[in-house]
Amino acid sequence: MRRAPSWPRHAIMIAVSVLMLIPFYWVLKTSLTGENIYAYPPRIVPVDPHLYNYVDVWYLIPFPRYLLNSLIVTAMAICGNLLFNTAAGYALTKQFPGRRWIVLLLLSCMLIPFQATIIPAYLITAQLGVLNTHLGIALPLLSTIICIFIFKASFESVPRSLIDAARVDGLGEWRIVVRILLPLSKSAVATNVILTFIWSWNAFMWPLIVTRSPEMQTLPLGLARFLSVLEDTTGALYAFVVLVLVPGLAIFLMAQKEFIRGLTSGATKG
Amino acid sequence: MSRWRFLGHRFVAVPLALVILIGGWNIYIAFNDDGRIRGEVRDGTGAPVPGATVIFFERNFINYQEMKRTVTDASGAYRFDGMQVHVGQLEARTADGRLSARRQLRLWFRAQNVEMAPLVLEAPRG
Amino acid sequence: MARASGSTWFHRKQTRELALVGCFLLPALTIFFLYRILPLGWNVWLSFNSWSPLKGAKWVGIDNYQEMLFDDDVFWDAFANTLIFIGCSPIAIALAFAIALLVNSDLKGAAVYRTIVFLSYPLMTVAVGIIWRWLYDERGGFINYVLRSSGIVDQPVKFLQSFDWALACVIAAEFWQVLGFYMIILLTGLQSIPQHLYEAARVDGVPPYARLLRITLPLLRPSIFLCIVVGILNSFTSFDLVYVMTNGGPGHATELLITYIYKAGFGQTRFDYAAALTIVQFFLLVVLTVIANKLSGGNAGSLER
Repeated sequence: MRRAPSWPRHAIMIAVSVLMLIPFYWVLKTSLTGENIYAYPPRIVPVDPHLYNYVDVWYLIPFPRYLLNSLIVTAMAICGNLLFNTAAGYALTKQFPGRRWIVLLLLSCMLIPFQATIIPAYLITAQLGVLNTHLGIALPLLSTIICIFIFKASFESVPRSLIDAARVDGLGEWRIVVRILLPLSKSAVATNVILTFIWSWNAFMWPLIVTRSPEMQTLPLGLARFLSVLEDTTGALYAFVVLVLVPGLAIFLMAQKEFIRGLTSGATKG
Repeated sequence: MSRWRFLGHRFVAVPLALVILIGGWNIYIAFNDDGRIRGEVRDGTGAPVPGATVIFFERNFINYQEMKRTVTDASGAYRFDGMQVHVGQLEARTADGRLSARRQLRLWFRAQNVEMAPLVLEAPRG
Repeated sequence: MARASGSTWFHRKQTRELALVGCFLLPALTIFFLYRILPLGWNVWLSFNSWSPLKGAKWVGIDNYQEMLFDDDVFWDAFANTLIFIGCSPIAIALAFAIALLVNSDLKGAAVYRTIVFLSYPLMTVAVGIIWRWLYDERGGFINYVLRSSGIVDQPVKFLQSFDWALACVIAAEFWQVLGFYMIILLTGLQSIPQHLYEAARVDGVPPYARLLRITLPLLRPSIFLCIVVGILNSFTSFDLVYVMTNGGPGHATELLITYIYKAGFGQTRFDYAAALTIVQFFLLVVLTVIANKLSGGNAGSLER
C-alpha cells in the first residue's frame, strides 16, 4: 500500500507547536530581561538575562503570604475531595432505594456551572460565617462530581469476592475502603488529587468574591492585584506569572496521563 | 532494599527533591543574612582611599534614595551592617570632590552578605 | 421463631447499611446542595424580589427582567458579546479537529505534539490573561512587533483598547487556552472508532475525504457535541480572562454576561438584578445546549448513561 509522506504533517504540527509555545517563550523572555521591557524593537533573545526579577517578586509583594494561602486552600480541597469523594463513590457502589435518583441528581448538578451560582453562594457563605477564611475559599471545592464517578467506577472493578472476604474477616466498612479499595485504585486517587490541585490552584472568581482582606488572598488574586497596583511596567510581573505557572505545569507534565484520563472520563461519562 | 524503591517513583522523588532544595536554600540563607555589605574604595591608580564616604541608596519604587552612609577605614575598606535590602546602589565620594560611578547592587535574598568589587574614584569633572 | 429473628436480623442489617450509605453520601451531597441546588432556587427567588443586604425582600414580580430587557443597553451588549463568544467556538473546534486528525495518525512524536498543544489548558487563567495582555501590548508586545516588522501596519495597534479588536483578541486568547482540551476530547472520540470500519472502507475503495465524512464525523458526533457544550460553558468560565485582560472595556466592548453579573452583584451590590441576569444566562445555556443536542442528532442522552 502506498502511503503519503509524513513530512507535510510534521511541518504542520511543528508550525502549530511553535504557535502554541510563543506565548510561553515571550513571557519567559520578558521575565529574564533587564530594566526596560518597553524598548522597541523588542529583542527575541533577552539582553543580559538575569534572575533578579524573581527576587523582586518575593519582596515587592507579600508573595510568601499568597503562596501560603494558596497552599492551605489547595491542601484543604485535596483532603476534602479524597475523603468525601471516596465515601460517596463507595456508597454509590451499593444497592439502596433511591440510588438512581441520587445518581441523576449528581449528573444534573454537573450541568450547573459554578459561576452561575455566585450570588447565592456568596450569601450562603456569609450566613455560614466563613467569609474571608481559608475554609470559605475551599468550601465549594471540597467535593467534585466527576471524581465521585471516577471512584465509583474504580471501586466497581475491584472483585466482589475480595470485599466479601474482608467482611468475613470482620473489617468495618470504612476500613474496607481504606485497606482494600483505595490501594487498588491508585490511579483514581492520582486523578482526583491532580484535578483538585489544578482547579483549586487556578481558582480565581470564587476567592475574589469571598476574600476581603489582602492577607487572605491567594496567588491568582495576588497576580490580579499586582497588575492593578504596579501596572505591567516591570519584568517582575512576568516573573510572578512564571512562578505561578510552574507548579501547575510541573504537575501536569508529571501526571499527564492521569490528568487527561480524569478530564475525558468526566467528559464522556456525563 | 526494595523497601526504599518507592523513593524513586516520580510522585515521591520530585517533591522530595524540592523539599531538599528549598530546605538547603533556607539553611544557606539563615547563615548568610546578616546584611553585611563590604568592599573597598580605590583611586584611579588602584591605591586604597581612606576616609572616603560611601553612600548606600535604597530603591523606592522608581528612584533611589539615600539610606545610609559610612566612611572607609585606614585600608580603604568600608562595611555596612544589618542592611535589610535586596536591591540598591552604592557610591563613594571624597571631601575633595572625587566621585565614583554608582554601582548597582542586586542580591539573591534580603540582607545577603556580600563582598563588592572595589569602587573606583574618578577625578572631578570640569 | 428462628425465622422471625432471622428477618429482624436481616432488617437490622439493611437499615444499618442504609444508614451507612447515608453517612457516606451526606458530606458530598451537602456541598452540592449548598453550592449548586440551593443557589439555583435562591437565584430564581431573588430575581423576582427587590432585595439588598440591608433592607428586606419585597416582591416586585418581573420588574428586574423588565428593566433588563427594555432599559439596559449594557445587558444587550453583554448578551450579544456572549453570543459572539459562543458562536466563535466552532472555529476552535474545527482547528482542534484538524489537529486531532493529524495527531491521531501514525505520526512519530505525536505524543510530543499532543502535549505541546494541550500544555496551555491546565494553566491559571489569570496568568493566561496577563500573558496575552503582554503579547497584545503596543510597546513590547510580540504581535505588534511581528505586524510592524513585516510592514503590515505602520503604527502600533492598541488591540485591547480598540472597540473593533478587543473582543476578537480576548476570544483568540481563549482559543489558545482551550484548543488543547477540544483536541483531547476529539482524540478520545477518534480512538474509540473501531479501526475495522476504515479497513473495510479502504478495501471498498472509498476515498479518504468520503471516509472522513461518512465514518469519522458521524461516529464523532457525541464528542463534537461535548466540545460545543464546553464552548458554551466557557462563556461562563472566561470571567477570569476578561477580568484581567480588559475588565469589560473599552466601554462595554468585551463585557460578557458573567462579568456583568459580577459587576452588578459585587460592584453595585444589586444582588437581585444580578440574580435575574444569572437566570437569563442560565436559560441561554440550557437553550443552546438543547439546540446543540438536536443538531448533533439528539443522541446526547448516551452521554448521561
